[in-house]
Amino acid sequence: MAWEYYLVVMLVYLGTDLLAVWGLNLEFGVAGIANLAYIVVVAAGAYAYAIVTLGPSSGNGGFQTYIGGFTLPFPLALLVGAAAGALVGTLIGLTGLKRLRQDYQGVAMLVVSLMVTTIVSADIGLFNGTAGLALIPNPFSNLDPDTARWAYVALVAVCCLIGFVVLRRFTTGPMGRTLRAMRDDDTAASAAGKDVVRLRLVVQAVGGAFGGLSGALLAGFIGGWSPSAWAYIETLAFLSCIIVGGRGSDLGVSLGTLIIAVLLLQGVQFLPQIASSPGLSEDFGWIILGAATIAFIWFRPQGVLKERRPRYRGESPSKLPG
Amino acid sequence: MALAATGPLLEVDHLEKHYGGVRAVDGISFTVERGSITGLIGPNGAGKSTALAMIGGFVQPSGGRIRFDGVDITGMAMHARARIGLVRTFQMARVFGNLTTLENLLVAAPRQRGERAAGVVGGRRAWRSQEKELVSEAQAMLETFSMAQKANDLAGTLSGGQKRAVEIMRALMMQPKLLLLDEPMAGLSPSLSRHLEDVLLKLADGGLSLLLVEHELETVDKLCGKVVVMAQGKVLSEGRMSELRLSREVQDAYVIG
Ligand SMILES: Nc1ncnc2c1ncn2[C@@H]1O[C@H](COP(=O)(O)OP(=O)(O)O)[C@@H](O)[C@H]1O
Ligand SMILES: [Mg+2]
Repeated sequence: MAWEYYLVVMLVYLGTDLLAVWGLNLEFGVAGIANLAYIVVVAAGAYAYAIVTLGPSSGNGGFQTYIGGFTLPFPLALLVGAAAGALVGTLIGLTGLKRLRQDYQGVAMLVVSLMVTTIVSADIGLFNGTAGLALIPNPFSNLDPDTARWAYVALVAVCCLIGFVVLRRFTTGPMGRTLRAMRDDDTAASAAGKDVVRLRLVVQAVGGAFGGLSGALLAGFIGGWSPSAWAYIETLAFLSCIIVGGRGSDLGVSLGTLIIAVLLLQGVQFLPQIASSPGLSEDFGWIILGAATIAFIWFRPQGVLKERRPRYRGESPSKLPG
Repeated sequence: MALAATGPLLEVDHLEKHYGGVRAVDGISFTVERGSITGLIGPNGAGKSTALAMIGGFVQPSGGRIRFDGVDITGMAMHARARIGLVRTFQMARVFGNLTTLENLLVAAPRQRGERAAGVVGGRRAWRSQEKELVSEAQAMLETFSMAQKANDLAGTLSGGQKRAVEIMRALMMQPKLLLLDEPMAGLSPSLSRHLEDVLLKLADGGLSLLLVEHELETVDKLCGKVVVMAQGKVLSEGRMSELRLSREVQDAYVIG
């Protein structure tokens, strides 16, 4: 049924968006790293998943060329995707070895994002250039289509569950506190004995793993992946989820993702299609997204759910932080 | 080790900092003895903040050496200096604005289990008991500074004087050997200043060494044993405040500067 198919797509997108937004919120919302190249780690995960599941590039009549080419089982392939995200995230993080002001850091990473897209698009041998990779195997293709679709939803849900537990280890407790201190004032954090350079690399590795897993799950679901799927503007969409939801709050940004990704970007698909301008509804979604983000920055900069800090009465926190 | 423990705590040797043609600090040498409060005074632009920034590791010197506790720390990163007990505060108080006052103190505690890989992987169980101790330590410190009622307020909402107090408490949480303070009394009400003076004196009695940049000569008089006078990037003279007051050189520097 059409509505059921649509629901599955929404749920898978919601789950993969959540993973990516959590990772970027860890970097930007919690640790203060303006990683405008975040979508690159998502792409790294997707491509890695593709080339370790597609088999040799001579397969399928050799109509697409790419490096590597293996046939790993999907749990392993997802781990490879996460690892690729972590690796690329760390590499992007190396731009922060020379300490830059946050705005310059953001610009540097935006340039990285554009550079990588250009290179991957131009180089056919790497990931088949602009055309991208197709026929990426779905792990449940041996099940009947309906079951396979819901199995994929379950897979994404399990990944989100595990992801959220891991995420909270970094955003709460002493670690989360230290990262937020670094976000608020990195100089004062160094003066308090925190190795800011090392912490940033760790955060970008962990955030990268979240993005990589997100990308791997997307690639497995869609079955294809090309440069048009990871334009730099996608990073801005994730940032919008964070700003609308509440920078630094895990629950807040999850809510923000629900609001932005589903209601706006997917919801506009319910708008009537106008035959003469086929891209209209998508453009319309970006406009709503931009307007909502600006409105929040102006009128509610703390987002829907403000970041909460633990309050202490006696010796233990009386409330858990958000 | 035996040698290190007996020499001066801090030795500054021909330290220089040039900004283009400006010699902000122009070859200064002095020492800070263990358990002392040493003052660093001089007119505006004398190079005091720059000197402190170099000692703390925020600014790399153009020349000269710095030794702390017998170790050459000239090229050491700021966070590494903090970890060996050389802790600074800033002339403009810097707090972590979106953390609570109490958290500002907690974050500075050294060797936290929850910050290490094992603590992150192990979760709450790995760091809960240490955290509990740190919380009561921080709460006791807030009491000392009469700020217990601000414990759960976001540090960004505090007044200037309170932020400075937070910064000093945060520094103390790190169990420093030498505390570098850049004009800690600036902007404080007279009563808060008196309070802080008393606290600093008590800390020095407890064995903490202090290097204090201060404009207010009255404070310097009250707190500091030795005073180093800087003007135009150089050390003009050093000695006890009572002697320095009589010196022509020092008087001229203050009037001219
Ligand atoms: N980052 C900088 N760039 C250029 N000049 C500087 C810089 N920092 C300090 N200076 C100059 O160095 C001199 C000493 O400054 P500072 O150490 O702040 O003096 P003080 O703290 O004694 O008032 C001043 O002339 C100041 O203008
Ligand atoms: Mg100064």
